Amino acid sequence: MGVFETLKKYKWMVPLIEKADRITKSTLLKNFRLKKKNFYPEGEYKADIDNLIKCMLCPNMCRFDCGILQASQSETMSPGYKARIGYYLSIGKIDPTKEENKDFIDLMYKCTNEESCKVWCPFDFSVVSLLETVRDDLNDKGLMPDYCKQQIDKLNKTNTIEDYNIYETYKEKGIDNIETDGNDEVYYYIGCEMMKFPEVVKANIEILKKAGIKFSTNLKKRVCCGGPAFNIRDFETGKKFAGKNKELIKETGAKIVVSDCPGCVLTLTDRYNKAGIDIEVKVVHIVEYINHLISNDKLKFEKEIPEEFKKITIHDPCLISRNLNDTTSIREILNKISGLKIVEPIYNKEYVHCCGWSGTVHWADKEIAIREAYNRVKELKETGANVFLTACPLCELGLGYGIEENEKDKYKILDISELLMKLI
Amino acid sequence: MDFKNFELIYKENRHEIKDKQAIESKLKEIIGENNVSTKDIDILAYTKDTTLLAFNWVIEGKIAGLPDFITWPETVDQISEILKLANKEKIPVIPFAEGSGVVGGAIPIHGGIIVDMKKFNKILDINDKNLTVTAQTGINGMNLERYLNAKGYTAGHIPQSLYISSLGGWIAHRAAGQFSTKYGKIEDIVLGMEIILPQGEIINFKTIPRASTGPQLDKLFIGAEGTLGIVTKATLKIWPYPEKRALISYAFPTIENSFEAISQILRVQIYPGVIRIYDQFETERHFPDVEQAKDKVMVIFVCEGNSKLVDLEESITREKCENNLGVECGEHPVEHWFETRFRVTETSMLPTYKIVFDTLEVASLWENAPVIYHSVLESMDKVKGNLIITAHVSHFYPNGVGIYFSFGGVPPKEKSDLEFYQECWDTTIKAVLDAGGSIAHHHGIGINRSHWMEDEWGKSMKVMRDIKNLLDPNNILNPGKIYVNTWKRGEN
Ligand SMILES: Cc1cc2nc3c(=O)[nH]c(=O)nc-3n(C[C@H](O)[C@H](O)[C@H](O)COP(=O)(O)OP(=O)(O)OC[C@H]3O[C@@H](n4cnc5c(N)ncnc54)[C@H](O)[C@@H]3O)c2cc1C
Repeated sequence: MGVFETLKKYKWMVPLIEKADRITKSTLLKNFRLKKKNFYPEGEYKADIDNLIKCMLCPNMCRFDCGILQASQSETMSPGYKARIGYYLSIGKIDPTKEENKDFIDLMYKCTNEESCKVWCPFDFSVVSLLETVRDDLNDKGLMPDYCKQQIDKLNKTNTIEDYNIYETYKEKGIDNIETDGNDEVYYYIGCEMMKFPEVVKANIEILKKAGIKFSTNLKKRVCCGGPAFNIRDFETGKKFAGKNKELIKETGAKIVVSDCPGCVLTLTDRYNKAGIDIEVKVVHIVEYINHLISNDKLKFEKEIPEEFKKITIHDPCLISRNLNDTTSIREILNKISGLKIVEPIYNKEYVHCCGWSGTVHWADKEIAIREAYNRVKELKETGANVFLTACPLCELGLGYGIEENEKDKYKILDISELLMKLI
Repeated sequence: MDFKNFELIYKENRHEIKDKQAIESKLKEIIGENNVSTKDIDILAYTKDTTLLAFNWVIEGKIAGLPDFITWPETVDQISEILKLANKEKIPVIPFAEGSGVVGGAIPIHGGIIVDMKKFNKILDINDKNLTVTAQTGINGMNLERYLNAKGYTAGHIPQSLYISSLGGWIAHRAAGQFSTKYGKIEDIVLGMEIILPQGEIINFKTIPRASTGPQLDKLFIGAEGTLGIVTKATLKIWPYPEKRALISYAFPTIENSFEAISQILRVQIYPGVIRIYDQFETERHFPDVEQAKDKVMVIFVCEGNSKLVDLEESITREKCENNLGVECGEHPVEHWFETRFRVTETSMLPTYKIVFDTLEVASLWENAPVIYHSVLESMDKVKGNLIITAHVSHFYPNGVGIYFSFGGVPPKEKSDLEFYQECWDTTIKAVLDAGGSIAHHHGIGINRSHWMEDEWGKSMKVMRDIKNLLDPNNILNPGKIYVNTWKRGEN
């Protein structure tokens, strides 16, 4: 809220305050003046105290839609409580350096970044945006949790978020590596997590070829976008990856970067920008790009939809629907497929419930992340469709954890590109 | 972590647990390792409810109560076993749902076992023929309502705390929603319940539209605030989602004119879903840009349901408003209410200026309502340090109203924030009782009002205490609420 709005909002109080006795008025003035001295930390800090306070003093109006709270069903995971702990860690009420307080530090990482809270927030922020600033101070104090350090180690050792360089597995997975000649129209930027789903990558390559796009994949040179480092708030590592990616993208000469991972899109754009790095070309998620190709008649559906895929439900990746604000591309594409029946889940589009596999929680508390995945799968099952269509490798992973072992044959998680492959 | 770093507000008569570890092991035997915690991080999370003063405590690093164990049972039998253990060991048990209660109901003032009801969150059945929904009571209100909406229904119970409260919490506090003038309060909506009594016995009240089967024992548990039993399942009335809404607003010269218009509307059995009167201060606060409402009393109405009925309700509502000097203000004020009704921002701001504030609601017959309004305002003006006293009225009956008063001020030097807060509460409630009103409309008693119960109930209070003793002879279920004076009147 801007100063003007705040003044307007509280103007009605002025005559009431004017009526008060001198002592009350002067106490009130003193309290206004001393707000920072009374409640803010001393010295240097990065924590967003203003908004941590707002969040911890809110009746928690977003709690019903916090996936982690719904998965744990514990007050400890409620958004307002996380802000409260962030505040106490920042002002030293809870000493983060004490081993016995490790649980409180861990709580700062138990979030999926899904930002469903932001939809309901009267102040229009997400809780993770506050927790991240607490993580900044923890990092400065050398208190980064081990599970985060391990991710940074992996990034440094393998250039990806895996124990090995997952891009090097392209051959054995049968993925075409298309080297750039420096004059590409599109750089198909494969997310490292998507390398776990080679059928999706192959489908995307096929689709781009079919549409006659000149593109490259450059897998031999590929590195992670650095997203995990930004999540952990290790900006030094994040920027290192940003630098490498900027160079690589430049090398391709591509006018547009198209990624199959919304996490990569978010990192290459928003997170790089916030870190002061501009890669200077447009970056979009592949659903948006494919929708554009179809609208421009570059892609046509030529085949009948196979029987087993005639009824599907959509799981909107929260990174696409809430972070990239795109809930239409996926539906516009699907609406053009004749014979396809879409059964929407109750919670969809910008109100989608997360699959559990985004953010830092799956490192900090894998069990809760799995329970969140389980909750989401339950909602998808309720639609009566056996095919869960999505467009994000993290969702594929998360939903995969959410399906019980004995139901794995019954339900299929499908990337939209895999479906399109069957039609072109 | 050392809880000594946090000042404890309710520290008298804490229950001493001799062998904590043994109790913890027994609890784990009952509900499993992962459903019990004594970790600091969990204990701290259950030290408060949403009593508004608790926000001042949060920023000042104080805690209201300190529980010993947190439990998350998943079955009725598990709750029953926890209660049996608690009786044997004489340990308090505090049902806790979403923690949005505003009178201290879920604060573990003597320590003990928190029974968090959140895992009781399943919707079990929607029956279109009977127009009912059956759900476990830990379910969050918004998650219940939006599920119903998606299926084409509404329960019609939309408290401002819809996002932050549970079905069990509504039943416990005899809650009332913003659309209650049409759909009724929670006691009108609940048709059946499953309850676990303090000693662990499980009872059921069958789902029935109405019966003549002796006294209505089930009603005893609606409003019992977790002191007579833990409600685990309930069946509620539901309605087809309204096909039409009419948004109406009028500004009146005085609050008396608005009361008169509304009583005339209800007299002819027109029940708008929402009726809301803003006194002059609140009108200035919420509608500074509505010219016609300057220095007046704004009233908004929402009529909803079948479109033919809505048209009729709208025309009669307008006629009665105009007959009582109401000036039409259009749809905008109602739209503004729809947009902002869940956007609570004050709690996030005021404690940072050490302002102590709250909103409390009382009930009255029509004939006493104007007197109550004016006398509370007058009395509160005399409270040293109080800056703001305003009112809105949002629950209506053919026979009377539920009025909310909001206060806010800075405690004078000689008073702690709790002492000042208590003075504001007690001043309001005394003025209400003196003018013939009732001390609570729908937030309940909890800690904040328990010392006024003798005045409210007179000799019937003994009967209430006898019932409590009969059902809970060891006084283990949510002790320190309703039946005893946890706040002492006139002292603190
Ligand atoms: C911003 C705001 C707006 C509000 N607006 C309204 C409103 O419009 N209408 C209204 O009526 N109230 C309102 N309230 C008050 C509050 O939301 C209600 O009192 C609500 O009913 C409490 O539900 P809960 O689930 O949060 O319960 P909790 O706060 O967790 O518990 C409240 C009491 O119920 C008991 N309890 C909880 N679950 C059970 C159970 N299953 N069985 C037995 N006892 C149980 C607890 O022991 C405690 O005594 C508002 C509160 C806030 C903060």
